[in-house]
Amino acid sequence: MSTDVTRPAEPDATEQLAPPALSATRESWHLFRRDKRAMISLCLLLFFALVALFGPFIYQHIGAPYQSALNGAVPATLYHNPYHQELEHQDEFISAQYWLGTDDLGRDLLARLMQGILISLTVAIMVELIVLGLGVTVGVLAGYYGGWVDQILARFTDFIFAFPSFLFVILLASIFGPWADTHLKHVPLIGSNGDARLVIVSLALAITGWPLMARYVRGQTLQIKEQLFVEAARVCGTPNTRIIRRHILPNLLNIIVLTATLDLGGIIVGEAGISLLGLGVQPPGSSLGLMIVEGANVIDTHSWEVLLPSLVLTSIVLALSYVGDGVQKAFDPRLKNT
Amino acid sequence: MTRKEAVFVVQMLLKRLVGLIVIILAVTFVTFILGYFAPGDPIRTLLGQQFNPTVYALLRHKYGLDQPWYQQYGTFLINLLHFNLGLSFTQTNRPVWDILKEGVPISVELGFWALVIEYLVGIPLGILSAIRADTWADTLNTGMLLIIYTVPTFITCVFVQVLLVWLDQQTGIGWPIAGWGAPWQYDWSDLQYKIAPILILSLGGIAYIARFTRSNLLEVLHQDYIRTARAKGLSERVVIYRHALRNALIPLVTLLGLSLGLLIAGAFFIEFIFNIPGIANITIRSVMAYNYPVIQATAILLAFGVVLGNLLADLLYSLVDPRIKFA
Repeated sequence: MSTDVTRPAEPDATEQLAPPALSATRESWHLFRRDKRAMISLCLLLFFALVALFGPFIYQHIGAPYQSALNGAVPATLYHNPYHQELEHQDEFISAQYWLGTDDLGRDLLARLMQGILISLTVAIMVELIVLGLGVTVGVLAGYYGGWVDQILARFTDFIFAFPSFLFVILLASIFGPWADTHLKHVPLIGSNGDARLVIVSLALAITGWPLMARYVRGQTLQIKEQLFVEAARVCGTPNTRIIRRHILPNLLNIIVLTATLDLGGIIVGEAGISLLGLGVQPPGSSLGLMIVEGANVIDTHSWEVLLPSLVLTSIVLALSYVGDGVQKAFDPRLKNT
Repeated sequence: MTRKEAVFVVQMLLKRLVGLIVIILAVTFVTFILGYFAPGDPIRTLLGQQFNPTVYALLRHKYGLDQPWYQQYGTFLINLLHFNLGLSFTQTNRPVWDILKEGVPISVELGFWALVIEYLVGIPLGILSAIRADTWADTLNTGMLLIIYTVPTFITCVFVQVLLVWLDQQTGIGWPIAGWGAPWQYDWSDLQYKIAPILILSLGGIAYIARFTRSNLLEVLHQDYIRTARAKGLSERVVIYRHALRNALIPLVTLLGLSLGLLIAGAFFIEFIFNIPGIANITIRSVMAYNYPVIQATAILLAFGVVLGNLLADLLYSLVDPRIKFA
């Protein structure tokens, strides 16, 4: 956009002074696109996300009504619903009716899988939002102003790193889980079908996750604020809030993207792990972790049921780590100039 | 060590000790407050059907639940100083310590062997990768390590269990996929229980240590004194094993604290999935039963382990690296 010569001059002076070359972020994006492994992984992740978002609507409209001995005529909207139990179809393998088979209660595994990925996606977004909000705010304040914000951040980070963070998540999820079950049950979208505890799990994961983001942002802010252009802005009498908005934050974008990408895998594994221990999503809800622990009950007779969610989770986590690797190579300011 | 240095060591130790106490206090406070404000009434749950107001009041008094929170916390701390962790909620009159005592040796055994294997396997793998840097062996190695490090522990457990079940069905060797033999006993039947969980627990650490060794060794190999050693005409073996490796391995000591944290998180899933009656399993069972005294105790125990591991790592670091001055 900025290379467009016919564009009329902007009244804002800082805009005109901007270098005509690619910005750091756009340059990084160009670098990233050349990384084949990362791009393939990104496509895979996008595929999973699209399937989880739109798959259920399509899948529930495929297939003829089916005559069940127990439930009468069952339409596809029902037997392709992740919560519907079809007890005469327990532990079935892949078929035309059930594309990825059924679990030990006769629920459709593909439907449950899509719901599980949706849960992972939701938790990842919720946690990232909190981590970004808190981490960037506190990190910038601590780095730019120092003082008591910095002190509190340092102490809190020490504490979070000393406390086994996984145990903290378990504690929070277990103590406030039952409360969430009863109080958030009627909230639409998040509360129904045993998903209420996800709010607690997300909060817990965010609480243990944000100090690291804050620390990286703080370190980068410390470096940026010593640079000449910030000094120049200050000499011109630019107020602090404007310096932070116009000069510090844009330069933090790379480290924020990098940290957020690297965090994602941990968050998704964290939710699956908590659900696996029985502290996250409650039955009849579905989550990759819950599917694994339910499948583990029949591991010696129908190992497919435990392998399927495990394989999906593995590919999500591996793809995330490859994307993270690519992002690190492209966005890390320390690696870029070497 | 001169007198001045000795004073520094003592000063640093004291400083770290104060930090340790502050962190332990913070951990006890957080776990206590979480338990205190947790919804639900443990005594009512404990009594269940046989609810009786007099017994209820009596038990509440016995557990100290009728006092205000700061008093409860004070009693909790004083008891902690006497290594008295209180009474269990679910089994009346059973001290928490009594419950933990069964799990501690098993968890320590699991963690100990995993730690040993981590270092024994991780370091050679890292060296191999570093001296063959940017060849196919290195690419394969680092690629595998990334996968091992990324795949969560519980997934590995599942894959191993599926494999064991399949092997069992093929050969009929009767390999167990759950349980734990006698602690610290190594008969063949005990080993069958222990091999898989210990190996799985060590995997993450192996990957981490190998990657760390690789990057450290590569960094050292680029330094001037290595060039000097090569210029003198020393053989490559002497250069790597006598000159480079010794310096490259120093920072590995600092990983000790971090490995402990990894081990604890990993142990939760391994003990849960393999049904090993260790500390993590006890914690999860207590969590399900809202047995807060036990949860508090394990939280403190684990945090203590991590903090102590970090302290130990710092101490060892300053011992093995003469360049580190106590600041």
